[in-house]
Amino acid sequence: MDLYQSLVTVNPVTLIAQICNLFIQLFLAKKFFLDKVKAILDQRREAADKEITDAQAARAEAEEIKRTYEQNMREARAKADDLLLNAQRSANSRSEEIIGQAQQAAAQIKQKAAADIEMEKKKALNDAKNEISGLALAIAGKVVARELNAADQEQMIDRFINELGGAV
Amino acid sequence: MDVSINGARVLGYINLPLFGDVQITQTLTAALLVMIIITGVLAWLGSGLTVTGISRKQAVAEMGYNAIVNFVRGNMGPNFDYYIPLVFAIFATSIVSNLISLLGIWSPTADLMTELAWGLVVFVNITYHKIKSSGIKEYLRGFLDPIPILLPINIMSECFTPVSMACRHFGNILSGTVISALVYAALVAANNALFNLLGSSLYVAIIVAVVGIALFLIGKKLGKKLPLVLGIIAAILGVLAVFTNLGVNYPWLTIGIPAIPSLYFDWFGGCIQAFIFCTLTTLFIKQAAGD
Repeated sequence: MDLYQSLVTVNPVTLIAQICNLFIQLFLAKKFFLDKVKAILDQRREAADKEITDAQAARAEAEEIKRTYEQNMREARAKADDLLLNAQRSANSRSEEIIGQAQQAAAQIKQKAAADIEMEKKKALNDAKNEISGLALAIAGKVVARELNAADQEQMIDRFINELGGAV
Repeated sequence: MDVSINGARVLGYINLPLFGDVQITQTLTAALLVMIIITGVLAWLGSGLTVTGISRKQAVAEMGYNAIVNFVRGNMGPNFDYYIPLVFAIFATSIVSNLISLLGIWSPTADLMTELAWGLVVFVNITYHKIKSSGIKEYLRGFLDPIPILLPINIMSECFTPVSMACRHFGNILSGTVISALVYAALVAANNALFNLLGSSLYVAIIVAVVGIALFLIGKKLGKKLPLVLGIIAAILGVLAVFTNLGVNYPWLTIGIPAIPSLYFDWFGGCIQAFIFCTLTTLFIKQAAGD
């Protein structure tokens, strides 16, 4: 014959044991299930958060790069314009310089040519003078050397003048 | 008809220093079994979790976890997450204890002490939050409200919180047990009456079986449902009556039929009482905390 408790019994030992059981169950459920699932869900949330943060960082970086690139482009264009302007300016000044130099050189050459002409003229005059004086000397010599008659004298003077004319 | 409904079976006695001879009842062994089942299932569900590419098992685990978290947060707000394990432990223990009776094992929740244990734990938490939110002086003064003469009634109403919680749960499970026992006893009685009648002579039994088979065949041939069903019932009864007449005595009617009331009292009642107990736990604590 099995022994049964009556339907409703107050049994302090069972009560205490069931309280302990509840706490043991609480602890076991927490340790083997709730904490583990919670950890996994937290990890997943963190991963998702990290993805979003990374994406935002990447976007900011890309925008930064774009900004830098645009700035560089602007600077490069300004520099190119500057260079072009400088080149134009220097080319202009250079051409003006060259023209000036050429004009100067031309003037110099002209001047020199004029001086040369002058000098040639002087030289020619001097030569003529020398020639004339030489001729005069020669004529004088000839006159001295021979007695001149009137005809001869006339002839000689004509010749002399002719010679003189040819020499000039 | 003699029906006796008992409490937990006493398995033995242990001599404890303070309590003397104490009874070791089925409640304790069944509670241990329940704990092993819950912990085993939870440990299985909680093993091999991964962050990405989850298995079906993990989906179930996460669904359960989210359900209990949403339940506690929905009833108590976001500041009471530390009650999740307690509510979860009570809910899991309650539901498994209620349903374990379907396997023919003594249900620990059919012992008032189990629910009273939970109720006392909840009561301690309620009292803690009451004292914490209003201070010990205000808490004690609350017993004199609205007039000091109501002090005994206030004390009683305070103490009956765990008792009422425990008795609500216990009563529902007990009613299931009582109804099941009554249905079972009634079926045994009906079974005895029926088969005493049918099995009194072998010829009657055989005639009933033959008539049943004939009805079944006719119903099948005509395509009508009523003779078909009646035929099946008569044939089975006839065959069982033959068995009974030959000396195989078994309460045949208790096979299958008790499952119909059990559907409500064990399945529905078991689930709904676990839910109600947890809802009351969360609501009472929330109310006591007052914010």
